[in-house]
Amino acid sequence: MKADQKRTIRLNALLLGGVALSFYLGFILMAVLGVQ
Amino acid sequence: MSNVTHADHALDHDDHKPQGIKRWLFATSHKDIGTMYLVFSCLMFFAGGTMALIIRAELFQPGLQFVDPGFYNSMTTMHALLMIFGAVMPAWTGLANWMIPLQVGAPDMALPRLNNFSFWLLPFAFTLLLLTLFVPGGAPAGGWTLYPPLSLQAGDSFPLTIFAIHLMGASSILGAINVIVTIMNMRAPGVSLLRMPLFCWTWLITAYLLIAVMPVLAGAVTMLLTDHFFGTTFFTAAGGGDPVMFQHIFWFFGHPEVYILILPAFGIVSEIIPTFSRKPLFGFEAMVYASASIAFLSFIVWAHHMFTVGMPLAGQLFFMLSTMLIAIPTGVKVFNWCATMWKGSISFETPMLFALAFLFLFTIGGFSGLMLAIVPADFQYQDTYFVVAHFHYVLVPGSIFSIMAGVYYWLPKWTGRMYNETVGKIHFWLSAIGVNILFFPQHFLGLAGMPRRIPDYATQFADWNMVSSIGAFIFGFSQLLFVYVIVNTVRSGKKATQRPWDGGRGLEWELPSPAPYHSWGTPPSEEIINRSSAN
Repeated sequence: MKADQKRTIRLNALLLGGVALSFYLGFILMAVLGVQ
Repeated sequence: MSNVTHADHALDHDDHKPQGIKRWLFATSHKDIGTMYLVFSCLMFFAGGTMALIIRAELFQPGLQFVDPGFYNSMTTMHALLMIFGAVMPAWTGLANWMIPLQVGAPDMALPRLNNFSFWLLPFAFTLLLLTLFVPGGAPAGGWTLYPPLSLQAGDSFPLTIFAIHLMGASSILGAINVIVTIMNMRAPGVSLLRMPLFCWTWLITAYLLIAVMPVLAGAVTMLLTDHFFGTTFFTAAGGGDPVMFQHIFWFFGHPEVYILILPAFGIVSEIIPTFSRKPLFGFEAMVYASASIAFLSFIVWAHHMFTVGMPLAGQLFFMLSTMLIAIPTGVKVFNWCATMWKGSISFETPMLFALAFLFLFTIGGFSGLMLAIVPADFQYQDTYFVVAHFHYVLVPGSIFSIMAGVYYWLPKWTGRMYNETVGKIHFWLSAIGVNILFFPQHFLGLAGMPRRIPDYATQFADWNMVSSIGAFIFGFSQLLFVYVIVNTVRSGKKATQRPWDGGRGLEWELPSPAPYHSWGTPPSEEIINRSSAN
């Protein structure tokens, strides 16, 4: 596997992980605001 | 045979694959990890199935026979959690692990060590969950939906359950990331997205759904945890919170979750029906767009699970109509599967039988879903056995049958051996008959008003409950044949050819059987891709 392909794979994975994390925190934040 | 497969043969002979326990503990091969997922799923299927049989044994007659009501409630809750998160989802991930690299011409999944971690989270998660059966207060008993305030009243099982759900969620998210990254980055040159098999397509869409909604479930259970232990009042009305908000958040996860459980089934059926009809799939692109439409719609229908909770008329109308819209792309799919078979040269091997049963019985589940979408009707059906019948029709002859279809279909590729067709067919017929005796009477029970999640019932419901329980035992015990077929195939099945199904198209059939430990080390040639392209 070429180095740039490896880099793209890692970048894609981090991006998707970031999306998942932001959904997790986002929904809790929404609930915090909702409750207030 | 191509140069590629010769090269792979050579690799296969000196691949120095790890031996013994290390092969599995430190597995990075997509095939080994796929096998582990499938074996794990099978174990959970039997554990969850045992719980289902305890439920059906208790319901065989009115009155309390075998278990106390608290334990009965634990059984319904644990059965659901085990079957959804332990049996069906890991089975899909196992099939994805095995088949996606083979079908897109990749040597492995893009992130093999992450893949190992995703799998090994699961045994820990389910050990924690199953341990709750032995803690003071017993296993969770408030239903798999974990609605507060009931779920907040659980005993010592509560933190274990929440942690187990977090681990399952993390495992699913990491698995989904792996699938997306593999499909987006590891396809062999020439395998464009629209030439990729439907199984890869439906899994790609499923993976996006997983990444979007598993964190929502994690958020919801984190808030339950803080409500229970850290004095927050997200879902506690006395502190200014709102228990109904939990239901909204839960079902924002829960409805896409239903499609997570069924979309890969659409993919498998879309592989099997063309193979055994000896025709290309009718309307390939329409199938892709229909799957994507179903996934999109799954985000805007969640409150149809909550009609009786109460909502404005506009809300009722919106969620009723958006739910009914799902029938359109689903109808496109059912039409296309039928059109694929039209004038085909059909043969009825075990995978095809399971796929056809899926087509008939999943459609019944779809129709009862439409009935439940109608608000005034739902007011009558809510929390009755009609709902139980509906979602079991979708999940058992829907998801489980297509997992079995997929296993029968690809078993020759995995093991290099053919399964016993006669025993396979007996397994199919016992399953198909058993599942209908089990679940069809539950429609009648629900329409007559029998509530779900109760260990005892009025005597007017006795007859159909007895029939349903008999069906449960037929279905449950016939699954032992499935294990027998697999073990028998691995041990002493006849040698399988590279292409055991003459109508089989797809890159997996261009590899020898069994698929070598390292496959597609050299990407498939353009000629092979053209020959095997799904579209």
